[in-house]
Amino acid sequence: MIEISATEIKKQKKLVLTWSITFLTVFPLLIILGLLMRLNQGEKISLGMDNFYVLMTLHGLGMAGILYSIAFAALWYLIGTRYAKLNTGTGYFVFFMVLAGVAGLVIATLIGKFGAGWYLLYPLPFKGTFWPTWATGLSIISLIILGIAWLIGIIHLVYALAKEFGGFSNLLGWQYIRKKEVDRELPPIVLITTVSLVPGVIAFIAGAVFLVMFLLQHFEPTLAFDPLLLKNLIFFFGHTLVNITLYCCIGWVYALLPEFTGRPWKVDKVVVYSWNATFFFILFAYFHHLYMDFVQPLPFQYAGQIASYLSAIPATAITMFGVIAQLYHSKVKWGVIPLSFLLGTAGWAIGGFSAVVDSTIAANKVLHNTLWVPAHFHTYMLGGVVLFILGFLFYLSHSKEEQEKDKMAKFGLWLFVIAVHSFIATFYRGGLRSIPRRYSDYGGIRIEYTHSTGALLAQIASVFIGLLLVGLIIMYVSIIVKLSKRKIPSAGA
Amino acid sequence: MSFIIKTLIFESVFQANPIVMIQFIPLLTIQTFAAVISFIAGALVTLVVFFLIFTSSKEEDKTSAKHKVYKMRGRYFFGLVLSIVIVLLLTLRLLPYEKFQGTPEETVTVVAMQWMWKMGPGLSDKKPAEFGGAGEITLPANKMIRFVVTSSDVNHSFGIYNSKGVLVTQTQAMPQYNNILEHVFDEKGEYHILCLEYCGLPHGLMVGKININ
Ligand code: HEM
Ligand SMILES: [Cu+2]
Repeated sequence: MIEISATEIKKQKKLVLTWSITFLTVFPLLIILGLLMRLNQGEKISLGMDNFYVLMTLHGLGMAGILYSIAFAALWYLIGTRYAKLNTGTGYFVFFMVLAGVAGLVIATLIGKFGAGWYLLYPLPFKGTFWPTWATGLSIISLIILGIAWLIGIIHLVYALAKEFGGFSNLLGWQYIRKKEVDRELPPIVLITTVSLVPGVIAFIAGAVFLVMFLLQHFEPTLAFDPLLLKNLIFFFGHTLVNITLYCCIGWVYALLPEFTGRPWKVDKVVVYSWNATFFFILFAYFHHLYMDFVQPLPFQYAGQIASYLSAIPATAITMFGVIAQLYHSKVKWGVIPLSFLLGTAGWAIGGFSAVVDSTIAANKVLHNTLWVPAHFHTYMLGGVVLFILGFLFYLSHSKEEQEKDKMAKFGLWLFVIAVHSFIATFYRGGLRSIPRRYSDYGGIRIEYTHSTGALLAQIASVFIGLLLVGLIIMYVSIIVKLSKRKIPSAGA
Repeated sequence: MSFIIKTLIFESVFQANPIVMIQFIPLLTIQTFAAVISFIAGALVTLVVFFLIFTSSKEEDKTSAKHKVYKMRGRYFFGLVLSIVIVLLLTLRLLPYEKFQGTPEETVTVVAMQWMWKMGPGLSDKKPAEFGGAGEITLPANKMIRFVVTSSDVNHSFGIYNSKGVLVTQTQAMPQYNNILEHVFDEKGEYHILCLEYCGLPHGLMVGKININ
């Protein structure tokens, strides 16, 4: 087993703080874009159709990117300070490459008005666009830079772990199945990191393939690729990226929650089977994005629904019950950290349930591309991932006692959570009322009921977005105050 | 503001309250069904959260708590697997694909292009870009209509809404492919077509109409 020195820990801490500050800066700006979109759909402001789609594209890409990045950075930090030696130089290299990619996307969208939506469905970025071709080119190149950066980060992390734990199959926990007694216990966070990040590698490779095809198309406009093949690649990439972001967060919930409940949370055979199954569900669930492509081979359609349904088994029976086993009648003190983890798990459960509803082909027929879709993924991203991340940031900034006493932070958290679910409720209601997603406004719809309901829900949403921003600011104050205090004593240590 | 709250409350009661719903069984759409089960699931999760928060204790109660949770988990596991199998068996027959539908009585060609719908009776042998249909079409009620849907440029989605604004069915309109959508219109009057796949600037203005008589 490796010893990690205090100076090494300090270096890793600086790296994770760099990521955290970036996240804390970018996140509210992207929320403001969401607010502007809802205000436009509510007919309270008039952005123009072009600006709406530009903001939508930046919001989607930005959120998916920044959340994945911080989730990855948090795992990197916990592993680099506990289980394996990670090179901070590589860490900063990834950071600056991500920054460069993000800068490219900001220029392509805000200046170049690139507005193809976050998943750039082929051939939309090349046909009938309202932005110049350079903006498409810059977006593609920026995304390639991001993909390479993340790929380097993942490979470094998984490689270091494999070296430390004696081979890749040990990272997946197979020694628990082969042997009665394992030589060395596998920390759950290591297992989960592997199960999340290795599908990530496969997804980034698929992403690289389609981005290179895009690049070819960009320079040779007469090319025509198969749109169904590209749809498969794009959704495999997009779905997997978003999905593993959530699983990364679960990694640190397993690692940190026991510190507050005083109960161990260990890997055993059941946990190994369950996460190895999850590995496959992550890879196959993406088919549920193509149900409305009736020409997609039927076995894939079945695979989509079956994998989506089955993924609920390990997620709920193992992980969520694990959370319950941690907390039920435990002597946990409800500080802001365990609270964020519990509420995040609840968001994950609710968002997961509505995702399962939507992954039913028979229901997808009338829910696909309505507001039900943003409803479900905002529930588990904003109501799940973001709370896990906030919990992690509280973990960085607060001591155990501080997080228990911090009433302000807890108030901010509750306000945020209630406002988040109310905001998302407008998406759910919209989906049930068949309001289409990705409409800059609903004025073009000739069904008066649909138009007025869509606009009204968007107005209500805007109020709750305002409230959730207030909750967020309260938590920010608490995090930033504590972080800046913490820096001074640790500098001397 | 009070109008907003009233609407919100009215809509939630109407949408999510099973007692109110029973009177609307004839209106039981897939959307309503999704609303009811999601609402119940959400309520259950909320209950568990508050239960966990309020039952955490001062004293550590390790063994019996663990035992109880694991017993629950066993039951939950079997219940879940059973319901998954049942729901899969039930729902995997209700697919919108051609194979699972009846024999069509009329065929309509649909071509999507940035940013309009072109529809015409019969199966077109023209290239999508040259097809000359209209954004409005009249079709008979209670007959199985077979829509052959494609696109001449980017992806779109052919979403059919009834006059009350309920999405009744859809299929993607993809270049180079024909998606076959079969549907029986059971109401006379107007249906509307909206594009449900983002296809560029005036995506939200890409509408069409089907008159049923
Ligand atoms: C308070 C926070 C947020 C607000 C107010 C917000 C608002 C919105 C709105 C209004 C849309 C457009 C919906 C439509 O299709 O009509 C949207 C789309 C989207 N949001 Fe958010 N959102 C928030 C948080 C997040 C988070 C945390 C994520 C994390 C992944 C996220 C990812 C996305 C994505 C991927 C899209 C789709 C963009 C597209 O269709 O190309 N959002 N959001
Ligand atoms: Cu369209």
